[in-house]
Order: sequence, then C-alpha cells, then structure tokens
Amino acid sequence: MTPLANLYDLFGPFYEPVFMKRAAWALLLLTVATSASGVIVVNRRMAFFPDAVGHSIFAGVALALILQTNIQLTVLALGLIIGLTIIFLVGRSHLAHDTVIGLVFSGAVALGLALVSRQPQATAGLSRFFLGDVLTVGDVQVLALMALAVISFLFLWAFTNKLTLNSIIRPISLKPDLSEYLFGAYLALVVVVSVQAVGVLLVTALLVAPAATGRVMAASFKGMFWASIISGILAGQIGLWASFQPEINTTTGATVVIVNVLFFALAVGYRRIVPVKG
Amino acid sequence: MAQALIRIDGLSVTLGQYPVLQKVTAQIPHLSQTVIIGPNGAGKSTLVQTILGQWPYKGSIVFDMPSPRFGYVPQRLDFDRHKPLTVKEFLAMPLTKSPLWAGISKGVKRKVLEGLERVKAQDLFDKPLGTLSGGETQRVLLAAALLSSPNILILDEPATGVDVYGEQLLCEILEDFKKDYTIVMVSHDLPTARAHSDWVICLNRVVVAQGPPQDIFKTNILAATFGLHQSSVDIKDAEQPTNQPTNQASNQATKQAINQPTNQPTNQPTNQANR
Repeated sequence: MTPLANLYDLFGPFYEPVFMKRAAWALLLLTVATSASGVIVVNRRMAFFPDAVGHSIFAGVALALILQTNIQLTVLALGLIIGLTIIFLVGRSHLAHDTVIGLVFSGAVALGLALVSRQPQATAGLSRFFLGDVLTVGDVQVLALMALAVISFLFLWAFTNKLTLNSIIRPISLKPDLSEYLFGAYLALVVVVSVQAVGVLLVTALLVAPAATGRVMAASFKGMFWASIISGILAGQIGLWASFQPEINTTTGATVVIVNVLFFALAVGYRRIVPVKG
Repeated sequence: MAQALIRIDGLSVTLGQYPVLQKVTAQIPHLSQTVIIGPNGAGKSTLVQTILGQWPYKGSIVFDMPSPRFGYVPQRLDFDRHKPLTVKEFLAMPLTKSPLWAGISKGVKRKVLEGLERVKAQDLFDKPLGTLSGGETQRVLLAAALLSSPNILILDEPATGVDVYGEQLLCEILEDFKKDYTIVMVSHDLPTARAHSDWVICLNRVVVAQGPPQDIFKTNILAATFGLHQSSVDIKDAEQPTNQPTNQASNQATKQAINQPTNQPTNQPTNQANR
C-alpha cells in the first residue's frame, strides 16, 4: 500500500492496475493547472512560450551533467531564467511576444544542442523529457502535481484580473510590472512540470488546446475559463482510457493531445452551427 | 474663469531627443470642462499624460486639492476584439479582489450597473466588449474611469472613431458631469471644443492661447495654429485683417507664438485666475 492508496482508490474500478490510477490522478491535477493557466496564455497570445521554456530543458539536462548538479533543479532554474528573459525582452525591446519568443526559443534550442555536443552522454537522459511518460509517475510526482495545482489556484486567484486588465488597457511599450514577471516564472514552473508527463513536443498542446476550445465556446472570461478546464480534464481522462484500449493501444501523452485537438475541432464545428450570443 | 484646480508652470517634456512640450504655462479651472486643442504632434496627449504622471518633466504641476484622483479615458481600446470578455467583466476587474472566473458578487455587479447607467450604457452590461461600436466603447471606458472614483476626468480625443450620434451623446453626458468633476479633454475637433468647453488651451508644443471659448475662437492665433485646417471651424467672426492672406497671417502668428517662450496667454492673463 502506498501512502496515496486511498486517494487512488477514489477512481474505484475505473482504472486498474494502480499505475493507471496514479496516471489518472497525475493527469487530472496537471490538466487543471495547464487548462486554467492556458486561458491567460491564449488571451495574451503567448502560445509558443511553453515551447521556448520546454526546449530549454535539453540545455538544462546537459548543464546539470556538466556542472554535476541536480537535474530537476537545474532544468527548473534554466526554465525560470528563459521565462523571465522573455517577459523582460518583451518590455524592453518593444517587440511583440511572438518575435521575442521565437528568438529565445531558437537561442534555447541552440544552447541545448551546443551543450549536448560537448556532453554526448546527456542524450541518454533526454528521452524522458522529449517524450514524457505519464504512466511512470510515482507518488512523489503526484504529490508535486498536487503542489502545482495548489500554486496554480493561488496564483490565478491573485493575478487573473490584473493580467487580464493589463492585456487590454496596458500598452505593450510599457515596462512589464511585477505581475508579468511572476506570470513568466509561474508559467515556466507549469511547463517544466508538464514536460515530465507529456514531453517537450506536446507540452504546448496541454496549455493551448483546452483554452482555445474554451475561447471558441464562450463569450465571457468566466465561460472561457470553465470551458477550458472541463475540456482539458475530459480530454486527459478520455485520452488515458483510450490509450489503454486494446484496439487503440497508443502512447498516452500523444493520445491525450489528439483528444484535446479533436475537442477543439468539435467546438469550432459546434460554433459554426450555433454562433456565440452577443 | 473658475478657481484653478491645476496650475502648470514652465512645463517642459522631452521624449528621447525630441522636445515635445516647451515651457508650457496653463491653468485648468475647477468643476468645468477644459478642452486642449492643437494640430497633430502638438503635444496634447503628452500634456495630459504628464499631468497623469506618466512622463518626467521640468517645471511644476500644482493641484489645488490634497489628493487628486484621476479617471482616464484613452483615445481607443487597442485589444484583441475576439477575446471573450463581457462589459460587466471588464468593469468589474478593478473593483474586486476575487478573480473573474470565481464570478462577480452582487455588490460589484450593482456598482458596475450604476457606472453604466451614468453613461447611458446599461444595455451593454452583458455584451462582449469586442462587439461594441466606437461610441459604445468610449462610454464604457468613461464608466470605467468613473468607477475609479476620480475627481478629475481626463479624456484623450474621445470622439476618435465615433459616429455623430455617439459623439453627441458623449458630449451630453460630459455636460452633466461638469458639476461633479473637473474635465480635461484633448480634441482636434474644433466645433465640439467650441460648443462644449468652458476653457480652451490652444497648444502647439507651447501654449499658443488659453481662455474661454468665445475669446479663443475669435483670434487669428487659432487659424495660425491649425493652418489650412482652419476651415474645419466656423471662424467667420475671427478678427483677421481682411486685406491679408490667411496663410501670411498664420505664419506671422505662428512665429509670434513660438517666439513667446513664457507663453503669455493671449486673451486672459494666467495670473488673473480667481483663486
């Protein structure tokens, strides 16, 4: 029995064996955090921010091996630096988010490749970050995801209004305020944790797809937020379940993303038939 | 002139290498509508933004009240119009600590509705912000400014992109507000400025003239400041020498204005303001 056995049992007969229950909890906690944060990411047109931070993970792993430091902490630290650099440059260079993110993205990938070329054994540790695997998460990671969900709730409680208002009335030429830097750091944290479950290639989808679905469905911010969370959670659980059906039998992370994209397509189709009121 | 609420003395603002405002001396009277007019690039928006504290300056800005609170209505709302956000959500955000996704309390909804009623826009309460017309957006922005409990309302060219009906409605609303707020409005719409202002500051990096509209709109300085655009305002009764071509008069007046670094007001000396 693991300390979290009672929690896992809440899923009852739906998932067996226990690693499935663990994966279900991990995906539930993760999709709540990413779908909620994604609303601000999509509304601020920062869809490639997760990619830029995600790709810095290669450099982080290589750096940890070169410096003989803890891989998780080094990856997190570099992710935070990349996230904060994007926010800083957007405010100082008077360039749009997409330009700055594209630039930092390339820089992060180049740094990763350069470091890996110096430290070839780093490639061995990279596959986990590249593809991710939600089925191998342990109790510690489930606890970490619980902490992430709590941090997300607190951050979004405190900063949703400020960040939304800034994106409407605050000209891009003004220097970023504290809330924007905190958002950069928070989002980097969400990305680094998400990468462990779905990998660098798919991390953007978890942050962007549910929020995009919510945005298509809703006419209000509140509507978009809850539609995003519901679609993110459903896609996560359906993806996990589907990936285990013998007839489907696909990688869980990729299946979750495919279900998210299908939900988005359904939302677009629905709105073509039933337009948003207003 | 009513008692001066804001006294601006020798105000200079340089943005980058460019001197936008040069030794501006002007007054803004209490509980009335002051309109700042001038051609494009005259520094009108910079002047109001400096009053709001957004730019560093030389000179002084003195308020005749202990804690001035500003309500600012920008020229336009430059945002992603497809963003799902209703008018009530937009107006509620600064009023509540709980996030929009947790819902808006009845008390805050009531305040938002009161704000909208004051600008005759209560029917916009549930509308998505991105679907509003120019005039509706300006009234919602005015409601947002009112909800911040200001005593000074600053509007930067509120009639830009607004149709005639919307502009007239906005002017009527502002007319009602004069008893409660000191209103400062940037405009290059001279007929509106003439019809609805109590005090006019004519700016072209320096103060070319300031005074009540009936005086300002009779001077050839105005024609000089606006150059060829003078036809946009009815200045038939302007005191121009009839035997002198307008452009020549304009040039002379402009030179005269620019050569007046201390910007003595043409119609009414600044120091005659009743305090």
